[in-house]
Amino acid sequence: MEFIKPGTYIDFMKYRGPVITVLGIIATLSLVSLFYPGPNYGIDFAGGTEVQLLFKGDTSPAEVRKALQDSGYARPDVISVEDQPNEYIIRVQEVSSLPDAQVEKIRTSVATALGDGVLQEMKVSPGGDKITLRVSGPVNEQQLQEALMTGGANVRSINALTGSRDPRYEAQLVGVADELMTQLQRRFGERAPASALRVEWVGPKAGQQLRDAAIQSLLYAIAFIMLYVAFRFDLRFAPGGVIAMLHDALITLGIYVLLQKEVNLTTVAALLTIMGYSINDTIVVFDRIRENMVRVRDKSLRELINISTSQMLSRTLVTSLTTLLSVSAFFFLGTGVIQDIAFALGIGILIGTLSSIFIAAPITEFMDRRLFSRSRG
Amino acid sequence: MDRGWYFRLAIVVGSSVLGFLALWPSVDRWLPCPDVVKEVFDNQINPGLDIKGGLRLMYEVEVDEYIRDRRDRIAEQVQRQCGVLIGVVPEEEIDDIDRAKLDEIRQRCKVERVDKEGGAVRAIRMTFSNQEDARKLSKSWVKDYFRDLRVASGVGDLVVDLHMREEQLANMRETAVRQSERTITNRIDTMGVLEPTVIARPNDGDIIIEIPGAQESSFERIKSIISRTAQLSFKIVDDESDSRSIFTSPPEGIYLNQGAQTFAEAFGEDARDSLRTYIATLAVPDDHELSIGRQEPDPERGGEGWRTYYMYRVADATGEDLDDASVGFDPQSGSPEVDFTMNSRGASRMADLTGRNIGKRMAIVLDDRVESAPVIQGQIGGRGRITLGAYQDRNELLQEAKDLVVVLQAGALPAPLRPANEQLIGPTLGQDSVRKGAVAALVGVILVVVFMALYYQVAGLVADAMVLLNLQLLLGVMSGIGATLTLPGVAAIALTVGMAVDANVLITERIREELRLGKSPRSAVEQGYARAYSSVFDSQLTTAIAGVVLWQFGTGPIKGFATMLLIGIGTSLFTGTFCSKVLFDWLVRGMRVQRLRVG
Repeated sequence: MEFIKPGTYIDFMKYRGPVITVLGIIATLSLVSLFYPGPNYGIDFAGGTEVQLLFKGDTSPAEVRKALQDSGYARPDVISVEDQPNEYIIRVQEVSSLPDAQVEKIRTSVATALGDGVLQEMKVSPGGDKITLRVSGPVNEQQLQEALMTGGANVRSINALTGSRDPRYEAQLVGVADELMTQLQRRFGERAPASALRVEWVGPKAGQQLRDAAIQSLLYAIAFIMLYVAFRFDLRFAPGGVIAMLHDALITLGIYVLLQKEVNLTTVAALLTIMGYSINDTIVVFDRIRENMVRVRDKSLRELINISTSQMLSRTLVTSLTTLLSVSAFFFLGTGVIQDIAFALGIGILIGTLSSIFIAAPITEFMDRRLFSRSRG
Repeated sequence: MDRGWYFRLAIVVGSSVLGFLALWPSVDRWLPCPDVVKEVFDNQINPGLDIKGGLRLMYEVEVDEYIRDRRDRIAEQVQRQCGVLIGVVPEEEIDDIDRAKLDEIRQRCKVERVDKEGGAVRAIRMTFSNQEDARKLSKSWVKDYFRDLRVASGVGDLVVDLHMREEQLANMRETAVRQSERTITNRIDTMGVLEPTVIARPNDGDIIIEIPGAQESSFERIKSIISRTAQLSFKIVDDESDSRSIFTSPPEGIYLNQGAQTFAEAFGEDARDSLRTYIATLAVPDDHELSIGRQEPDPERGGEGWRTYYMYRVADATGEDLDDASVGFDPQSGSPEVDFTMNSRGASRMADLTGRNIGKRMAIVLDDRVESAPVIQGQIGGRGRITLGAYQDRNELLQEAKDLVVVLQAGALPAPLRPANEQLIGPTLGQDSVRKGAVAALVGVILVVVFMALYYQVAGLVADAMVLLNLQLLLGVMSGIGATLTLPGVAAIALTVGMAVDANVLITERIREELRLGKSPRSAVEQGYARAYSSVFDSQLTTAIAGVVLWQFGTGPIKGFATMLLIGIGTSLFTGTFCSKVLFDWLVRGMRVQRLRVG
């Protein structure tokens, strides 16, 4: 079987103008989409609300998950606590964060009520479920609650931790968890938990540290790839491969954002895979160009690119196809997070195949013209 | 077939067998694995949090300890700066004040640390001995030199109280939690591909860690490695001062050793705790402290022994300046120890410290325990070792040395951790999702296999054999290193298989091109491989470079991703080029096929 007849010659470089324009527009749109509407960060990046509760009647993780999904929680984590029948930890992305102005209002209200210099520090948890107050000495809890309410905080209870080594007051606020409890009570009736054992904001799994490390390692990776390509091939080839790689990641992320799919750690892994695939694909085409540069001496680089790309076309299509085959299995048969990865990878592979031909190679030709202005003979 | 071919075949078969043996413990459930194999390959694939659940730990960071520690360091600086203020030492010599001068400064202006009972205020009190010195202190002096402090009361008086600034306290709380998170992540990364979840919550001062898997035995070790503070410091033991008066009459079971120096010792299982309780009641001068270390066991008095060391409070060098640590063995006794090297700053500090204190003893203190206190024979630079005491079981010591290396390399926690909560948790994904994911992976692989066989015929079957071998080796390596497998990981493996056929595609396309030129199958295979090698290697190597960089600089999930990427590249290269060639060679040389069907 052959998709591409031997000896096929396609003038790819002729079409590079329109293709680059279209890809350029998509890339620009993708870049814009990162700021408007902006990525829909999942719980991995944005944190969320965590509730631990004990159901009064028997239930299963699947049932709880289904009930929450039906209540409009997009992708809840429902984790059973081992050895504790019907006890669950539920994590949802939703938070009830307070706007800055509101926080300021509460702070002013509390500071005024408690008197000069008593309030030393007030922190609102990023999930808007708790206010932590550090004061110079014990205060009247009733008074504190009223001051918080006056400022607009919907206080459920106040917890005095004045006996500990780090004395403070914690005010629990009415928020996401209460809404969640209402939903569960509506769906589970008798079996629903009476009240939450614990309500907390959970921070992002991918915090500052991971973000810094990710960006740093990516920059190093790009630098080392460029160095290797410049050393193994030559300087003209280095930028093309890297630009094509970034282009593929950008477009994939852009489409993800435009569809407002949740961006989480798995998405990052998918993007890294796409970049690996992209550079891999590009290098294979580069390799053939390099080989032909030695063997075919009387052609311009433009023609060499066409010849090499045509020769490699069969391989490019077969590899893309096999990869797409395994990805499509996940897209059609998988669920949730798996389906999302498959979607991202599918786009990445398509764009990556295009970009090797229409981005990487033309940039190399462009670099060639800039570096060696005389035409090759 | 020549001998070279049989040799290559042996490598292929051998690696396949090895891969299977490494994988066997992981598939024990379906194919019972003999104990012999389990002993050699004691790791297995660890199902991730999303598939199997694991252990959820919550630690409170003892932020208060961190603040106290910072306050102590600042107090030490205040004491020294005070020497400049009252004119005992010039500004340039502030880091190099000898003990006599320090005593003089202390006589004229004593700097103490004050803890308010049950309160959060972290204060430092300066007590001047004469008005003239006291008048030299101004608010701006405090502001200029110590941005963490503010004057609470008494400028111009003999007694001045300095408090830590509230906003700095808030910063410190945040820093303590963030640093703890960083250290914990580092430590877990050092332990291998665990794919844990680490969530820090600075507002609450706690950290949540979820460790996948169900092996209870490994949890204990992980917990001890995570929660160990691992603050290493080097302090000078004060054997000259008379410390006899400090030791008030000890309770039952604690003995006072009245030799050249006075120290307290105790024996038996509770010795350490009772000794600790005892020294907490003693009045130690502000610039000194009492710590506990191991003592030669005394079977007559109850077994394992512990003793006190009387030493200067200030740590002249700390583990912050540590560069590397490794397990070593004592040349004489052969007992395990930890060797370490300091970075340049630490080395110069250490040289300074040892140079000034030749003949004295230097205590190597890890957390609240004196690990050893050798006499300083001469100036030493950036190398040292921590002896773990020769009184325990050798295997225990070796494990302890290994764990200590992990924590020292990953750095100290800024403050102790207090376990707040511990729960075994179920998987985050439903059984349904996991099953569908597994089915999809299987279907994906089958689709690739069928397509390759249809498109490339015989060459496709060779590629298919390689796909299966690759899959087996990949899983074998994962099992061997105890890698964690999450559902996205399953997808990644299936995808790796899809991508790995690229090597076969490149080679087969080349063979096709050569066959079209009219070459014999045998030379077409030779030429095809020779020509395709460079594309295969270059494309895989470029990806591998990215993988190495991500592995080196990434943390947590990024490091995990890089590990899997590198393993995948390794097995794909091996199967795609080396193993497939063995099969092709057999076809064209052993079977002598006249027409090679490559589609």
